[in-house]
Amino acid sequence: MTNTPTNSFEWVLFIAKKYSDLFLRGTWLTMLVSVSGTLLGFILGYAVGIVQDTAVNKEDNPVKRGILLFFKGICTLYVELFRGTPMIVQAMIVFYGLRQAGFEIDPISAGILVTLLNTGAYMAETVRAGIKSIDAGQREGALALGMSPISAMFHIILPQAFKNIVPEMANMFLTNLKMTSVLNVIGVQELFLQAKTAGGTYYKYLESYLVIALIYLVLCFVFSRVFALIEKKTAVRKDYVLAVEYMENTQ
Amino acid sequence: MSEEIIRVEELGKSFGEHQVLRKIDFSVNKGDIICILGSSGSGKSTMLRCINQLETQSCGKIFFHGSELGKKQKEINEYRSKVGMVFQSFNLFNNMTVLKNCMEGTQKVLHLPKKEAFERAIENLKAVGMAPFINAYPSQLSGGQKQRVAIARGLCMQPEVLLFDEPTSALDPEMVGDVLNVMKELAKKDLTMLIVTHEMDFARDVSNRVLFMDKGYIVEDAPPQKFFSAPEHPRAKEFLSRFIAG
Repeated sequence: MTNTPTNSFEWVLFIAKKYSDLFLRGTWLTMLVSVSGTLLGFILGYAVGIVQDTAVNKEDNPVKRGILLFFKGICTLYVELFRGTPMIVQAMIVFYGLRQAGFEIDPISAGILVTLLNTGAYMAETVRAGIKSIDAGQREGALALGMSPISAMFHIILPQAFKNIVPEMANMFLTNLKMTSVLNVIGVQELFLQAKTAGGTYYKYLESYLVIALIYLVLCFVFSRVFALIEKKTAVRKDYVLAVEYMENTQ
Repeated sequence: MSEEIIRVEELGKSFGEHQVLRKIDFSVNKGDIICILGSSGSGKSTMLRCINQLETQSCGKIFFHGSELGKKQKEINEYRSKVGMVFQSFNLFNNMTVLKNCMEGTQKVLHLPKKEAFERAIENLKAVGMAPFINAYPSQLSGGQKQRVAIARGLCMQPEVLLFDEPTSALDPEMVGDVLNVMKELAKKDLTMLIVTHEMDFARDVSNRVLFMDKGYIVEDAPPQKFFSAPEHPRAKEFLSRFIAG
């Protein structure tokens, strides 16, 4: 191989090799921001989704109703705000907004914050849909045993809802893995920004972006397999073992 | 006269403009096996759901051992743990095995230790002939099996009253027999039961009281011998004539 690559393919290899540390760092940051942002966002989404699904009872005392209505209002506002604006704009506003307000936030933390807020808003709706997908009888069965509505939610409804929304959670995760690229606008040195840097020296942007396209593809493939595994593990099995020790008691 | 467990006074329920229950008055005594009959839409299920507080009544009161049932969630939870319910659509927890289904209530509500909850579950599952299926999930069972597990789940709480909301209506004729046999066994053990059903033979042979409902009223409250041989209300006569003809 000569020192100067002669075609695009060679340029891709050349850049990948020469700037491997940049790409590695980019991959790490992309993973860090998307994984932590998404997981925290899932938790936030569950909380918001549950609050939004909670029915306001006319019989409850006014204080309890007031608090619940207040939280529901906040949740609705939050969901509409973050679903209704582009993530790239949210990144700018959160990062520069916090800085102007005097919080010395670094780009990575800001990136995680934006990712988690964005994910939470979408996840809230997904969780709500998941809860709605569970037959009302499941809840009634639990209440009839004397379980509290909260206990019924956490022990009976949510575990089943979770199972139903795993595919949608996978979707969101992969979306986030790629959406972190917009965080280059606030200076998070994730894959996209690194590719821009790497491509700049030799003015070989296309080749540089081909490198990260491949990295994104591999990352997404790995994570989609992980979620497929979770889906498989949580699925109800078709077979079961008869407890033969109790067989003599069958009718 | 035996001890009164539940008393319902002037109970009414409406969904919007539609009035489903009007002025329901009756009481359930210890050891009673009450069958609630009536055509679809007469308010039978709604009445049962009100008694369990799955529906909140629009007016009227429910008394449990003489004291009025309040509106506090905690009070209702505790009351429900003593007044069990078996549903037409079983409502077994789909994410849990048969065994876990029967241990969930005793562990989470009655706070029994695991060992005791397990023993109680096995004992009641044996009683309904479902003990060998402890490792199965509800989706792996037939309707009749599910309903028997649901009854065992209810029994694990050792309720004072067990409410049945059309327990056999979703089952094929063969399975109906299995479930009714289990219920007959419970009747022999003096469990207090309130049963909404369309199984006339069961009502006649097993119950000690029949409530006949029409348009949201209890129009007849009589022992089965009297109800089936000499009904008083015209609607009850009409209802029974179809049963006898069929």
